[in-house]
Amino acid sequence: MRKRTKMIIDPKYVLIIVVVMCVLLMGVSFKFYDKMQPIRAAVGSVVTPMQNGINKIGTKIYDKMEYVRTVKKVVNENKTLQKKIDELSAQNRLLQQEKYELDNFRKLYSLDQQYAGLPKVAARVISSNPDNWYNTFIIDKGSKDGLKVNMNVMAGDGLVGIITEVNKSYSKVRSIIDDSSNVTGTFLKTSDNCNVSGNLELMNDGVIEVTGIDGNAKIEDGYEVVTSQVSPKYLPGILIGYVRDLKKDSTNITQSGYLTPAVDFSSINMVLVITQVKESEDLEEMLGK
Amino acid sequence: MKIKRYLSIILMLIVGFVLQTTIFGYLELANVRPNILIVITAASGFMFGRRYGMLAGGISGLLMDLMYSDIIGISILIYVFIGYVDGIIKQFYFKDDLSIPLTLIGISDLTYGILFYIMSFMLRGRLGLFTYLKQVMLPEVIYTVFIGLFIYKFMHWLDSKLYPPVEVPLE
Repeated sequence: MRKRTKMIIDPKYVLIIVVVMCVLLMGVSFKFYDKMQPIRAAVGSVVTPMQNGINKIGTKIYDKMEYVRTVKKVVNENKTLQKKIDELSAQNRLLQQEKYELDNFRKLYSLDQQYAGLPKVAARVISSNPDNWYNTFIIDKGSKDGLKVNMNVMAGDGLVGIITEVNKSYSKVRSIIDDSSNVTGTFLKTSDNCNVSGNLELMNDGVIEVTGIDGNAKIEDGYEVVTSQVSPKYLPGILIGYVRDLKKDSTNITQSGYLTPAVDFSSINMVLVITQVKESEDLEEMLGK
Repeated sequence: MKIKRYLSIILMLIVGFVLQTTIFGYLELANVRPNILIVITAASGFMFGRRYGMLAGGISGLLMDLMYSDIIGISILIYVFIGYVDGIIKQFYFKDDLSIPLTLIGISDLTYGILFYIMSFMLRGRLGLFTYLKQVMLPEVIYTVFIGLFIYKFMHWLDSKLYPPVEVPLE
């Protein structure tokens, strides 16, 4: 007696089914982005602990390798630094005088309230996007630590990016050098507004794009760009970077150029999340509901 | 049904994904990291056929999409497609030959890059294909093929342990 052969679907048809399902999925996930959140969270809660563990090992090995590498460097640097110390101590005296002046200015402009008064939470970077196309990474703090979508992320004294997704114990950050990132900035010295957008083509040069600066603005290389008051998501006054190579656009109405970020994106391990969402967001939500 | 083979592919994909997102971040060369998922997808397709290629591709795409992209489906589509095409080329599979699988891995990775570029960059009006080619795709291909050599060898070894070849006496 012949055994009944099992029903086997030809891979061709499986492919067609998968393709159709993918297209549907794309549409569904695009339309109901929020509804997919539980599925993402389920996958994330399996994968992130593994990433976290391996990352710890990886960091250790990397640190050891770095240690050997740096020792050689340090010896050379030590010599040059010794010279610099002499120069700097002279400069320091000058600066101390200037600091006294600065304190007075600070009081005048009440800038310190804006920057130092912000509540912050430190977080560790667990993993970065494995793809070479995007610049997003995952940090080990989530909604149980009080994080929310659209909170600003800083490292050192510069802007790193913005939280785009929050799960219970981890959240996703899109950095400002990501190709789809856009930040409204303003020049500290001239208060002209501009648009800072990430660009994959320029990423290897360590710069991002600045566009839409008023054609008449007198801006020189090295001017500081901070986040603007008019930005809907970013808190005002956070340093983004330094502008360079400005050129007039062909329309003659605007200027554009490049910006060197204040943060070194190749080696971010710890970030600070500002646990304050810009109020315009709340307003929008209230109006929407 | 070769359950062990399916399971081994799934396990390898998860381990590969975790490694790729963590350790390879430290091992970046020329600012790119190798695409391990595409290696496993291409190799399973080439070694075991369309069915396995599509399975590996589907899981790779799902992992990528759920963890890192906003729209679910793009990566799945690309990976499954690549797994399927590599499965077709299984007819050229020959155990000791390395040149075909490595070329295949390279081509798969390049295809992945180009498809990904078309679906999520070109449609947004980023038209500088050649800069992307030079900066992202080609370095990634070279690095991936290099890593792929080891992964392919490993997969081969693993499969021969799971399913030892049966010797057919010549008469």
